[in-house]
Amino acid sequence: MYGWIWRHLPGPTAVRVVTAVVLVLGVVALLMFVVFPWVEPKLPFNQVTTQ
Amino acid sequence: MTTPDPGGPTPSGLVGPGERPERPDTLRSVIRTIGEVLMTAGLVVLLFVVYEVYVTDLVSAGKQREATTALDDRWKSDPAAAPEDPERVERFQGLAEGSGFAKMYVPAFGTDYSFTIIEGTTEKTLEIGPGHYTGTAYPGEPGNFAVAGHRVGKGAPFNDVDLLNSCDAIVVETHYSWFVYRVLPKSEEVAGWAAGKGADPRCRGVSPLGGPYAQVVGQEIVAPSQGAVIAPVPGQLGAEASVGEQATLMTLTTCHPRFSDRERLIVHAVMVQQWAKDPAKPGETPPELKETS
Repeated sequence: MYGWIWRHLPGPTAVRVVTAVVLVLGVVALLMFVVFPWVEPKLPFNQVTTQ
Repeated sequence: MTTPDPGGPTPSGLVGPGERPERPDTLRSVIRTIGEVLMTAGLVVLLFVVYEVYVTDLVSAGKQREATTALDDRWKSDPAAAPEDPERVERFQGLAEGSGFAKMYVPAFGTDYSFTIIEGTTEKTLEIGPGHYTGTAYPGEPGNFAVAGHRVGKGAPFNDVDLLNSCDAIVVETHYSWFVYRVLPKSEEVAGWAAGKGADPRCRGVSPLGGPYAQVVGQEIVAPSQGAVIAPVPGQLGAEASVGEQATLMTLTTCHPRFSDRERLIVHAVMVQQWAKDPAKPGETPPELKETS
């Protein structure tokens, strides 16, 4: 999977490294700001109120 | 991620002699992809832990700061905009969900432990800070001033609430007053309280409550469904103490054990002291705030 992505990145190695880092940061940001805030209330470990 | 290709036929029994190399290559890339997906999943879970424990703290710290600034602005007497209440009486009616109305201090947690208490207990509100259960009493009122707070992430205001001992002060500041609550005796301390810990000068005003409150102790762990812990008489929904024996309580609720929501950790405290703020000395704080040990 990662090998496949690497082979499909354009440009010389330096450019590929930069693109790869940007991709990784993008995925991390997507997880941190979109996926995790959405999934967090659905998980059973941070409910503090009684019903 | 690439693995160096050793070249030539793969050793071990995967490839029989004379077989073409295409098939084992496909097999190998399938296995490698599965491995990569699993490792990625592991990293994502780790990242989620980082998010939950650290990133939410940062976000909440900003929101808590904003709420505190808004509250300070509201309290600062600006005679032109909001004329000073001549009676200096707290007014909590009509508080909007999500707005701060009081500050809490736990000197035992250090002098820097201070949180603005927000009205309401929705997820959004609890991200800002400890949230007041709508419908329960307000600071200083007879009844049960109940507050929920996160124990992990989101500023974790109630991270160490399990470490509160009996008689530890929980100081609540409102516009015109300071209210000092103290944690009630724990269940194992109730017997022999007067001769034991109750003799400590800090415990003045704290003793096992009698009458309808006989079951109320400083700390308890309950099921999430036991909403009665925030009732005016904790543990007894609908029960009412007669006016003469009505206690002024504060209740903290958070999740238990840490990182789980299987149960709730509950701390009950009773009000022992009330100080009116002196308009002539704006920066004055009550002596209980110095009980940092």
